[in-house]
Amino acid sequence: MYINGIGIVFNRGRGVAALENALEDGWQPPALEEGRPVYRVAAETLKDKITSGALRRADRFTKMAVLAAHDAMTDSGLDQSIDKADLGIIGSTYFGPHVTTFHFLDEILDYGHKGVSAIAFSHSVHNSAVSYVALSLECRGPTLTLTDFSFPFQSALLTAKMWLSQERCDHVLAGYVEECGKVMEYACSQKLNLAVDGKIKSLDFSAGPVAVPGETAIFFLLSDRPAKKSYGKIEKVDFSPPGQAAVDLLIVAADGSTKDESGYRQDLKAGRSLAGYSALAGSFAGGSAFNCAVAALTLKNQTIYPVPFADVKSGPAQLKQLACLRYDCPGSPAVVELQSCNI
Amino acid sequence: MSFKAVITGIGMVSAAGANTQETLDSFKTGRRSVGPVSIFDTALTCPVFEAKGFKPRDPRRFSRTLELTFHAVTEALQSCGLTQDIAKFKVGVCLGTTIASQINDLEFYKTFRSQGQVPMEAIDRFLNGNLARALAGYLGVSGPCAVSVNACSSGTDAVGIALSWLEAGICDIAICGGADELNLVPLCGFNSLGVVSNVPCAPFDRDRKGLNLGEGAGVLVLENQEVSAKRGNKSRLYVAGYGIATDAYHLTAPRPDGTGLATAINMALQQAGLKAADIGFINAHGTATRDNDKTEGAVLARVFGPQVKFLSTKGFTGHTLGAAGGLEAGFSALALKEGWLPASPGFVNQDPDIGVSPLTAVTDISAKYAMSTSLAFGGNNSALVLGID
Repeated sequence: MYINGIGIVFNRGRGVAALENALEDGWQPPALEEGRPVYRVAAETLKDKITSGALRRADRFTKMAVLAAHDAMTDSGLDQSIDKADLGIIGSTYFGPHVTTFHFLDEILDYGHKGVSAIAFSHSVHNSAVSYVALSLECRGPTLTLTDFSFPFQSALLTAKMWLSQERCDHVLAGYVEECGKVMEYACSQKLNLAVDGKIKSLDFSAGPVAVPGETAIFFLLSDRPAKKSYGKIEKVDFSPPGQAAVDLLIVAADGSTKDESGYRQDLKAGRSLAGYSALAGSFAGGSAFNCAVAALTLKNQTIYPVPFADVKSGPAQLKQLACLRYDCPGSPAVVELQSCNI
Repeated sequence: MSFKAVITGIGMVSAAGANTQETLDSFKTGRRSVGPVSIFDTALTCPVFEAKGFKPRDPRRFSRTLELTFHAVTEALQSCGLTQDIAKFKVGVCLGTTIASQINDLEFYKTFRSQGQVPMEAIDRFLNGNLARALAGYLGVSGPCAVSVNACSSGTDAVGIALSWLEAGICDIAICGGADELNLVPLCGFNSLGVVSNVPCAPFDRDRKGLNLGEGAGVLVLENQEVSAKRGNKSRLYVAGYGIATDAYHLTAPRPDGTGLATAINMALQQAGLKAADIGFINAHGTATRDNDKTEGAVLARVFGPQVKFLSTKGFTGHTLGAAGGLEAGFSALALKEGWLPASPGFVNQDPDIGVSPLTAVTDISAKYAMSTSLAFGGNNSALVLGID
């Protein structure tokens, strides 16, 4: 399964160029809101003719998703040639459009059971973002939204792989979307150690790691054949430890969203080359989705980007195979292996 | 037919019954358990379908949806003899829901809104309440886990994903289906959309006034044929096909020409290697809303012909949202095995805009294949093909 296009919306802007700039420029402090750090997507980033017409009523969560999905299509160069009946969409998320959910609860509390807004309700449903993506792209293939608090993005990739192999569609837009909101940020402050200086240190592997909530939308255009500007191939999605797999670089999603990251040390001991980029986008921010985007760029450009707050050799490198690793709260692993198109 | 996943276990709970046998009894006698909301306070007076025979064990610790899931899973695992040694197998869990994916806790939010702080009990219940992860943890199984949140087709899509897992060899056994509790938030939401009926629902009827919400869980245990045979299982039921396609038309209304649903149906038939004429009956989504039934009825007539044999079980269960696909896949499998179909409660007069009628009486059948369809918010359409050897 080949990555033929990438679209990303995050705190540093929109599109692959913004991601490359962020990787090259390194860490920048997140915004402070009510004294808490948050990697927030700027309102300016979401302004686009795509989001101003039919999407004018859509919420922020949906707008992020739609822009990232459109950008993945455009980035692939296949946006005009793909038959929309052969395009599938799979979204994934931890928390879904929870800001809209709480807005709907506001309506119930403020206007009573009979006075609520139908628009707020219909947009609070988890699959509304993917539905808007389908509407705006006129996609007529399969659409699905997946959620869990461990590996929703990996499940989306796995499902995309099956849809392609079962010929349910020729291309799949698979992505991950997360937004921040007051309730979620409060819950994070209660459940996690927030980094008061805004710095997520992905390679510290601390028993008491620090987190910074972040929001992002990332979509990948996946196909069973490479396009001209393919980034690489997703070779494997697996829910077991990386073991001794021969990868040139292991990108870890140690972003402080689990209570203990010392489990990653076993992968360090194996003498692997490690990297971690969560400091650029925040905790939860796509987790492995963000890292997969970084891995795809790393493979394509044959360059290891500087790792924030860690002494990792960066610069040009010969890279054939990369893996993205995440452990969830109970300590279960998920690995996404990527290969260069040139293998 | 390329791949068949054997249905070895079935579990269910809804207003139609707290287990499979009670459900069949309701189907046979036409008993409808519909009435006002009793499990929470509301100003809304519309009838609902509560799972009266279900008693939550620990509501402070588990969401009602998760408890409904455990209830149905327990029956499903008992029915296929997998209660003791399930962790020996590579077991995947794929469940659909709508409500368990959201923090729909009004008291929690009310406190947060007024005080700016709130105990984390509701958040913990939410984080520990992801249906698939919670069930996998409870059973101690370590295969793939996913929760499908595709609105009203979530349960059907969960079964479809599980079928794919088994076909790809990612797991040997899959527990799949859907669950949703009756909850104030969607009740207010559906009411705001103007699609809730103030009388018991009448799917496909000319004078239908909308849906009634329900609650429940419907779970299938699917196994690859080799594992099932090695375990000595004798089940003749299986899932053979799954189709899914979107309308790209409207956030809450189906595409009037129903092409998305027709595509999903044809995809499911194609995977199963069947033709429309092979399908003995269809357990339709049939929510009793004006739009759904008009579109779905017309598509069923177009694809399967004017003599199409179909029914809606929403008149027994209400619309159970994410549970509907799991429950209705289970109902379809049971009908194949039992050799009879229930009537569609509430239906009296054919709608001239639809032109076909669901079954109006308990009907004996000898079908080899059945289909279960789901249409969802956001324009998704899904279909499953079930069979019996």
